[in-house]
Amino acid sequence: MKEKLDAILKNGTEKIAAVANLAALQEIKSALIGKTGEITEILKQVPKLDPAIRPEIGKAANQIKQQLSALIDSRTEEIQLKASEISPDFDFTVPGILPPMGGLHPITQMCYDLNDAFRSMGFEIFQEDDISSELYCFDNLNFPAEHPARESMDTYWLAGHDAESGGRRLCLRPHLTGASVRYMQTHKPPYRFVYPGRAYRNEATDARHERAFFQYEALIVDHDFKFASGMIMIKTILSKVFGRDVPIRMRVGFFPFVEPGFEIDMGCLVCDQKGCSVCKQVGWIEVMPGGSPHPNVLRAASLDPADFTGFYVNIGLDRLVMMRYGIDDVRLLRSGDLRFLEQFR
Amino acid sequence: MKISMNWVKEYVELPKDLSIEKIAYDLTMATVEVEKWDNIVTQFDKITVGVVLKLDKHPNADKLTLCQVDIGGEVKEIVCGGTNLREGMKVAVSQPGAMVRWHGEGDLIEIKKSKVRGVESFGMICASSEIGLFELFPYNDADGEATILDLTDFTTATAGTNIATALGLDDVILEVDNKSLTNRPDLWGHYGIARELSAFYGVPMKAIDPIFAPSAPALDITIVEPKKSPRYIGLKIEGLNVKPAPFGLQARLWSVGLRPINAIVDITNYVMLATGQPTHAFDSDKISGHITVRPANQGEKLLLLDNQELTLTADDLVIADDEGAVGLAGVMGGKRDSVLPETDKIILEIANFDAIGIRRTASRYDARTDAAARYEKAIDPQRADDALALSLNLFSEIYPQNKITGYKDNYPQPLERKKITVSLKWLESRLGKQLPNDDIARTLGLLGFETSFEGDHLHAIAPSWRSTGDISIPDDIMEELARMHGYENFEAAPITTSFSHAINQTDPDRNIREYLALRCGMQEVYTYPWLKDDIIAAILGDTGDKLNLFSLSAPPAPDEKYLRPSLLPNLCKAVVGNVRYYNEFAIFESAQVFLPGDLVSKYDKREALPIQQRRIAGAFVGGADSVDALFRKAKGVLEAMPRLTHIESLSFNQNDKVAKPHWADETVWLSIKGTENIGTLALLSKKAALAVGIKNHAVLLFELNLDALSPLASRENKFSHLPAFPISDYDISLLFDEGVKWQDITASIKKGELIRSVSYVGEYRGKQIPEGKKSITIRLKIVSSEKTLNSSEIENCANAVIKRLCKQLNAETREK
Repeated sequence: MKEKLDAILKNGTEKIAAVANLAALQEIKSALIGKTGEITEILKQVPKLDPAIRPEIGKAANQIKQQLSALIDSRTEEIQLKASEISPDFDFTVPGILPPMGGLHPITQMCYDLNDAFRSMGFEIFQEDDISSELYCFDNLNFPAEHPARESMDTYWLAGHDAESGGRRLCLRPHLTGASVRYMQTHKPPYRFVYPGRAYRNEATDARHERAFFQYEALIVDHDFKFASGMIMIKTILSKVFGRDVPIRMRVGFFPFVEPGFEIDMGCLVCDQKGCSVCKQVGWIEVMPGGSPHPNVLRAASLDPADFTGFYVNIGLDRLVMMRYGIDDVRLLRSGDLRFLEQFR
Repeated sequence: MKISMNWVKEYVELPKDLSIEKIAYDLTMATVEVEKWDNIVTQFDKITVGVVLKLDKHPNADKLTLCQVDIGGEVKEIVCGGTNLREGMKVAVSQPGAMVRWHGEGDLIEIKKSKVRGVESFGMICASSEIGLFELFPYNDADGEATILDLTDFTTATAGTNIATALGLDDVILEVDNKSLTNRPDLWGHYGIARELSAFYGVPMKAIDPIFAPSAPALDITIVEPKKSPRYIGLKIEGLNVKPAPFGLQARLWSVGLRPINAIVDITNYVMLATGQPTHAFDSDKISGHITVRPANQGEKLLLLDNQELTLTADDLVIADDEGAVGLAGVMGGKRDSVLPETDKIILEIANFDAIGIRRTASRYDARTDAAARYEKAIDPQRADDALALSLNLFSEIYPQNKITGYKDNYPQPLERKKITVSLKWLESRLGKQLPNDDIARTLGLLGFETSFEGDHLHAIAPSWRSTGDISIPDDIMEELARMHGYENFEAAPITTSFSHAINQTDPDRNIREYLALRCGMQEVYTYPWLKDDIIAAILGDTGDKLNLFSLSAPPAPDEKYLRPSLLPNLCKAVVGNVRYYNEFAIFESAQVFLPGDLVSKYDKREALPIQQRRIAGAFVGGADSVDALFRKAKGVLEAMPRLTHIESLSFNQNDKVAKPHWADETVWLSIKGTENIGTLALLSKKAALAVGIKNHAVLLFELNLDALSPLASRENKFSHLPAFPISDYDISLLFDEGVKWQDITASIKKGELIRSVSYVGEYRGKQIPEGKKSITIRLKIVSSEKTLNSSEIENCANAVIKRLCKQLNAETREK
């Protein structure tokens, strides 16, 4: 009899655990402890048993009945809580309701990425006007009087000022570098700032050339600055833009406003520097000029070149954006075409 | 510029184990960008010397010949149409796989084994033009088909030898980027590159032809303005004749991309490419009287070597005789005194001209010659000595019978070498490392500097070839040492600047752009700062000239010369471009505009600039019937903007004090006010929309002066206690006359003790609403600060509002 009870308990426990819905559980409940259930049947027989074992069996049967009853109750609760009130046909593949979808221009996005990186290194952000003068675009920057960039074939000069010179000969700025002197003239050294903005150059446009472009410059000026520290600025820009460490190298380059001047190359990411058509098989791509501000530039900012030096880099964001996304026509950036711009949300 | 490594090696003994890759890399890192390099032999892959053994008639074609050709170890049959073939002749055979140009025209094509009129032909016997050797082996049209390249007299190489090797053309050619040479006039010749390599690898230069002045009667040469022509050597050479230069010299010129012409001209080109010093030969028989180097007379005519007739200006420099100008100094020789087939005596000019003048002249006449390219970089007058020595040597070699019958070296003011003193302490701090004095002296010595040390100071004397502007300040000496030390060998040191103040930048531009793009669903666009004339008229209502807009002197297009005084014209252009593809969208731009008016000195007294303003402008576009919805959307964006971008609040109104912009609709426009009037929000008028080409869309535009938006110094939100008693929403719908404005309704309701807020739910016009009326639903939030209101108290409060609206604004309840 005892064995039979144990078997009922074991069997019942397993069945209760395995059952998945309330109807089936109800059936099990009847079969075990219902009016004609197995335990009920045994309890009915208890009075007829040998008095010597009667109390023991009776007690055991009741205990098992309670045990099973408790198990069934807790299982009932479990099944009830688990059940969904929603039809299993609910279509969870319908699209969500999107918030209003707009976006920043991909150049703005990159500019902000860089601003964040430079601000974390304590750089200030500076802006200057689009129309500047020969004084700030050329004279202050150590461009020789006869430099070809001063001619109208390169720079957009404003009409009516052609006969003027210096601060009275106006142009759409051909580069941002002039802004550095404006900043230095109005702030106290040492300096650590970036100055993003638009620049314009008179040239024929095609898939790789634009008349309007967006530049990003960074400048540090301090006492005793080692030019090799400029590498930190370059690495910051490139790793931010491409999301990983990019190999760089500085090689000799000549620009009037820096001494020494550098061409800065980055490792070609298309071929991992193995050589491909993008990098003309050399594994390196020229990305930006840089260098220490020429003593004459520092003088234009009323600084003593014997005391101060620094490092400057200038990078064209249009080209970097094109490289970041594989865009093959620079003119798309100023087309205002939403079919293009939407892709960068 | 192309650099021949064989040529370079004539001047410097390079280490044997030095690879071309290493040379190209080192030059790129420290001197000049090497764009590519190629061995000439590889251009002639599978083009080899063949020896014609036997010629037979082609069985099926009269004009073709079957040639048995020894191609080195085996004999192949090749079909050929050339008429100058003979047995025993050495020819160029293009074997299968070689790339050739059929009859010297069109693209390169690959040679394959093929049947020619039924006979299998192994490859091709070539004419010079078919394998890129026409310049070295020219022929005339008169030669007809007798143009097969006959190499018999040009090589002793055996059959099978690569053609370039057989002709002694085995050489590596570097191509350097001319732009990266702008500041290094000393590198515009092979000698200069050799000197640079000698410094890299610490190997000495080989001795070159000794410099000496020939003894001959003085030539009559006058320099009118020595500043424009610091040095002028004239050398009269007789006993010459016009003939081809020796093949080796021709090959040299050819290998770096120059066409051999005749021995006299080739010598001058060779000297220029070797030393970087241009030289010019002119026929001395054509010179009448004496030679003068003088500024041109205004309007003076000169017929150039290339048959171009120039009308000169007084800014040009000419070489002239008694009759007039014979050459454009430093740029191009004249037609009158050019070397012709009958020339037998010449005057050789080795001169130095002022760089700026040459550059102006060359660009004035668009005459970008090799000579001008060199002069305009400011070459040193000293190197004329090297050029003279090399020229004398070459003329003696090629014309052993020549005679120098006149000589003059006009060099009134010899170049002074630049002297620079550098503080060693300064040098160390800039470089970030200390270089021993011995190293400094050795490195600079290899580059031609003389050095001495005195305490903390280095005294350096630059070589003449670096003294024309290239080297002028201590930073230049630092650069020389750094690049020779190798930029890669400087560790990227951490940036150590420390700052005392926090950077607190408050420009609202970024917040606003992010708000519009990321919160309001607008797409940022970039447009150009110049405007097309027709769009100026359409949006701004007048011509650029009448509006006094700033303009460009050389604009991108004749009808795009005016610079924008507003972002809206080009924003409308962007709208036009997009309505083809999108029915509903919103775009914005943040950029500067240029305001007509007086110039101001914003930064610097010496400067006068236009007033320039940063603006932010947006366009909401939808169907023609969506004006109401677009208006509310656009207004909502601007209403929420101050709070969400932390700027001072804005208000919107239409009053007489502010003029409606030309482009705005007569009715739907508002001026936007912060502390002053800073912009407009309006519907693009029908007239302006049609003028720019928008027919079936409504466009709501706004433009704000970004510079006038004041950022809040800190957050200005106000805290109030949470209501102690429940707030009830109570909606009332009333009929109003169409003319009643929402502003009238809110003014009439007045918030009070029980009415916490009044808000607009919506308005309705339709069947049940009489003509000339609209139904407006108003939501009141009713709450007391003292108790929970019961329903009749709430109702009473709302009824009071209704009553007031009916009385003051003639409202009616719907049930009526």
